[in-house]
Amino acid sequence: MMSDLQIIKGCARHERKAQQELYEKYSGLLLGICMRYVGDKAEAEDILQESFLKIFFNIREFSGAGSFTGWLRKITVNSAITHYHKNLKYRYHVEVEDFVSVEPGIMSFEDDYFTSDELYKVLNELPAGYRMVFNLYAVEGYKHREIAERLKIDTNTSKSQYSRAKAVIRYKLEKLRKIKGNYSDND
Amino acid sequence: LKAKKHDISVGELFRQKLEGVEIPPEASVSSKLMRRIAMKEFLNFNPFRLNIYYLGFALLTIITAIILIFGSENSDQLNFLNIPRDLQTDSSVNRVDRTVNQKPETLDSKEFVQEIIRAIDKSPLASPADTLRKLRSAINLGVTNADVNNSFMKDGLFSATSGDRTKLQGGFKSGKTLFESTASEGCTPLKLQFYNKSDSFDSCKWTFGDGGYSDEINPEWIFDVAGEYKVILELFGTEGLNETSSATIIVFPKPLARFEIIPVKAVLPDDEIQYINYSTNAMHYNWDFGDGSTSDLFEPRHKYAKTGNYNVRLIVTSAYGCTDSLFVRNAFSGSEYFINFPNAFIPNSQGPLGGYYSSTSDESAQIFHPAFNGVSVYQLKIFSKQGIQIFESRDLNIGWDGYLNGQLSASGVYIWKVRGNFRNGEPFTRMGDVTLLGNDR
Repeated sequence: MMSDLQIIKGCARHERKAQQELYEKYSGLLLGICMRYVGDKAEAEDILQESFLKIFFNIREFSGAGSFTGWLRKITVNSAITHYHKNLKYRYHVEVEDFVSVEPGIMSFEDDYFTSDELYKVLNELPAGYRMVFNLYAVEGYKHREIAERLKIDTNTSKSQYSRAKAVIRYKLEKLRKIKGNYSDND
Repeated sequence: LKAKKHDISVGELFRQKLEGVEIPPEASVSSKLMRRIAMKEFLNFNPFRLNIYYLGFALLTIITAIILIFGSENSDQLNFLNIPRDLQTDSSVNRVDRTVNQKPETLDSKEFVQEIIRAIDKSPLASPADTLRKLRSAINLGVTNADVNNSFMKDGLFSATSGDRTKLQGGFKSGKTLFESTASEGCTPLKLQFYNKSDSFDSCKWTFGDGGYSDEINPEWIFDVAGEYKVILELFGTEGLNETSSATIIVFPKPLARFEIIPVKAVLPDDEIQYINYSTNAMHYNWDFGDGSTSDLFEPRHKYAKTGNYNVRLIVTSAYGCTDSLFVRNAFSGSEYFINFPNAFIPNSQGPLGGYYSSTSDESAQIFHPAFNGVSVYQLKIFSKQGIQIFESRDLNIGWDGYLNGQLSASGVYIWKVRGNFRNGEPFTRMGDVTLLGNDR
């Protein structure tokens, strides 16, 4: 097992073994990121491939400052954004119906109530634009200003899309909880 | 034990649950990725790795070397690759001489190859033109060492002959007709004789516009595809191209005469004949029915007065006056009344077929049935040799399948008798025998 430093040095010299090691070590984590941005696994794997090509050919640009995983994540998220832009014109634009019935205020959930599979599913049911903003803001921790810049939208659009995405997600989680609740009642 | 309840917001929930999730990709992704990396590395320049630039350079060097070596075959002195062939063709006495003579040359050739290698070695990253120049000087060197003239350089690959250039000089002098032809338009296939009317030229070239050309003075040409063709005559003198003349030849499409007779197996004189016209490119139609009557309708009908065999002819004429004809001799052969029976048949041993037959199916030979034309009423009876009737049919489409009450009849001779009327009312009665061939063995 090579250390991250050995892997980085090997990759910089285009060593196959180091590249394979890097892939083995991080492909799962990075695909987990990709899957948040596109629902289809094959499509996510395409983004993963693009990410790894960027990682292997730009590994000299990794300064060593900051975490290596963070750098890998950033490249993968960038690939997902590029993919989103590339496919934007082909996608059927889905307008989400207004959720008037959603109550205002903070709605909270127990952290172990939903499985990650269920959360992936909820994410993938979102319109592509909402999903991008929600992922970047809530999970990646980007600022709305950054998101607006990267997605080529207005900052206010990013904000409103985020709150609408949250509303949709709450609504879907509530529905899911009811279904799950019914199951446990019957048992 | 109750799970610890910890209230969090939606955003936090997703971050906590999904931030570190690992999803293993399919195994194929890894190999696909490695292929893409290899491809990308191959396309990128890297001084320490085989890439497209090195490969291209190597290929170019090899090709250049091959061209140079094979190009030098013109020169006897450098023909070291062909020594075995020379030995075979020479007489034995000569062979000894040649072998002796060949020795120093072979040595020189080796030197020459080494010179090439040295030239390549000196500058691995040189441009192709540079390499070419070096290779050429190396060959020159090799030739000089062998003490022969380097004549192959003059008419070899690298001394582009400029002989063709003179032909392109000299302006076109059009408008003046230098030639005549037997016609300027006509129907396909159009055969024309061209006459060169000039008397002051050394050589001439005809270009016919359909891809063909000729060097003859008075050529004959056949245009077999309709269209407009520009025929060009070029006259060459000692100074190159002297005069040019052109003319347009128009070749009209040829019409096509085609027709069909309905009914296919017409019975004369009962059936009225209908002619179905499939002609193309035609405007006028001229029918000759063969009994002395004619028609110029597109699709005429005709009733013949008596039975017989007639020759039908259709002549079609196009808008340009081009014609085509179709002549059908004995158009109504096989149209007389008849009924004939075979003298043997082989029933299907697997089981009764029911007697239905069609002239195109394999079952035809397994069923005893007549060949006929113009039969209107029909009755077929089959008897055993003892005179017992074993089969009867009043349907022309049903023959005997060789079975009696589901049992295959014994092989042997059977008697058939048929009665009926032809369509003209003429009755017929025939009798004969048929051999049922079994496959008992």
